[in-house]
Amino acid sequence: MATRLQFENNCEVGVFSKLTNAYCLVAIGGSESFYSIFETELADVIPVVKTSIGGTRIIGRLCAGNKNGLLLPHNTTDQELQHLRNSLPDSVVVQRIEERLSALGNVIACNDHVALAHTDLDRETEELIADVLGVEVFRQTIAGNILVGSYCALSNRGGLVHPHTSIEDLDELSTLLQIPLVAGTVNRGSEVIAAGMTVNDWTAFCGSDTTATELSVIESVFKLREAQPSAIVDEMRKSLIDSYV
Amino acid sequence: MAPTAKRPRRKLVARPVTFSPFARSAAHIASAYMIKRQMIENKLHEFCQLTPNGECKCNDKRNIDETESDSDGESSEGVVQADFAFFDPKPDDFHGVKTLLQTFLDNKEWNLSGFVDLILEQTTVGTVAKLEDDDDDGLFSVVTALNLGRYKDHKCMKELEDYVLSVCHESNLVDQLRVLFSKKARDVGLLVSQRVVNLPAQLLPPLYDALFDEVSWAVEDEPTEQLRNSFRFKTYLIVTKIYMHKKANGKLGEKADSEEEPVIYVKAEDELFHEVSSWSFSFPLKIQHVTTSEASFSFHLFNQFTFFLKNYVSMGLVMAVEADKIPTFRKQLRSLIDDEP
Repeated sequence: MATRLQFENNCEVGVFSKLTNAYCLVAIGGSESFYSIFETELADVIPVVKTSIGGTRIIGRLCAGNKNGLLLPHNTTDQELQHLRNSLPDSVVVQRIEERLSALGNVIACNDHVALAHTDLDRETEELIADVLGVEVFRQTIAGNILVGSYCALSNRGGLVHPHTSIEDLDELSTLLQIPLVAGTVNRGSEVIAAGMTVNDWTAFCGSDTTATELSVIESVFKLREAQPSAIVDEMRKSLIDSYV
Repeated sequence: MAPTAKRPRRKLVARPVTFSPFARSAAHIASAYMIKRQMIENKLHEFCQLTPNGECKCNDKRNIDETESDSDGESSEGVVQADFAFFDPKPDDFHGVKTLLQTFLDNKEWNLSGFVDLILEQTTVGTVAKLEDDDDDGLFSVVTALNLGRYKDHKCMKELEDYVLSVCHESNLVDQLRVLFSKKARDVGLLVSQRVVNLPAQLLPPLYDALFDEVSWAVEDEPTEQLRNSFRFKTYLIVTKIYMHKKANGKLGEKADSEEEPVIYVKAEDELFHEVSSWSFSFPLKIQHVTTSEASFSFHLFNQFTFFLKNYVSMGLVMAVEADKIPTFRKQLRSLIDDEP
């Protein structure tokens, strides 16, 4: 299900939070209601961690992560790094990387299997992404924009991209990512998709200006209507339990 | 024959340049548009055409060159010329108006989007100022008057009422405020006026003329009796921001320091409104500007002034202005702007 919320009167929820299938990061300093909405939705399933990155609250745009790992920019302080390492599950590899383009959330878009990267990203960074996040990395642009991380939101089940993406680009990206893609907007016509919303396999959080139409597009492309967190866990359980004795 | 009284020369204080992060970004947006338009040949002309359907085309004759000619080189971006035009509010203006009104109620979390929608729906009274032929559709100013009674059932208006009542710490005024919001609500107009900090002052008289003329036209032209009456405002309620000297002991108008003004009005017309207001009160704001102790700011609105804001704190100001004082206000605003060298 998709939820609408605000961070201190600001509808850019994707800037102040980062949601994956294994954890959720939330910026400090917002009102308690912001944090509690995440808690209500996610409490028993995944940890919700309050943090800052480099002393700032724009954590959603500075870090990139999925269920396998989390990449942090070079200006993350040691305390923040330690705090994240402590609070996140052990299966999540937390790594601080030296990359000139330090707003990793803007230059990397990823889900649990595949990642899109900024065309000017360092070679080492690309290898680190593949290692830490366990994904296949493709250097791409979206509707001519090199900030792939800002102009699309991906989950394992679908993706929402910049509204001006052409049909050919949509098809190409869809083949690359192996998920259905739709070109749309969030927050009443905002083109910066990833800043306006954050999503994982069973839930999404959008800015409160998001219209009902935009919300229904989001719910349908990310297949959120029938999604339940327990469904994911059950599927995993089937693959984990080999046989009953 | 008695000598005519000399009109008191208003000492012009520099308006503070961008303080809050919002204002800074708004000013950056404005200056970015300005620089883009450096190639525009048109000069600003000084007359305002008011068309019958309320659209006001404002052109200001004064060449910005003249106002900046005595600056001694601090205008780093050079002189930019632009044509501003006034439009009725449209649904497309949502994001621009919302950005301008982001700090309207300080940092209170409220239904700002609903409030902006109300402003945009009321096309008969309300004006937005944009650049003429601007592809990027940047919004520089919004001004409107909303009838408290007509919109009192909306969530945003209730939140606004709660906020204004909660920040009022003067007991005699709380009762007056309550009356304005309940019994007299049908006759009260909330005057909303917000703009980018460095909007040329020459636009102010036409902007306010546009507003008050639209109000009087609406009284005659609206299709239903109820709507016509909803624009017969007897009082205007204004919520705005000022800077008060830290040493001033809370009451407006008392000079603590002989050199520094006790109150600085972010918007020039607020000083005029304040003078004709029936009552007003100020309250501390939670969002404060960030100043370093050594900071100095210069601002080219009327003339060039250097200005130290470390001794000032931002306060909100709520005023009630009777509708019959508006003609006086309009005259004073015109003379204030026209007097500028």
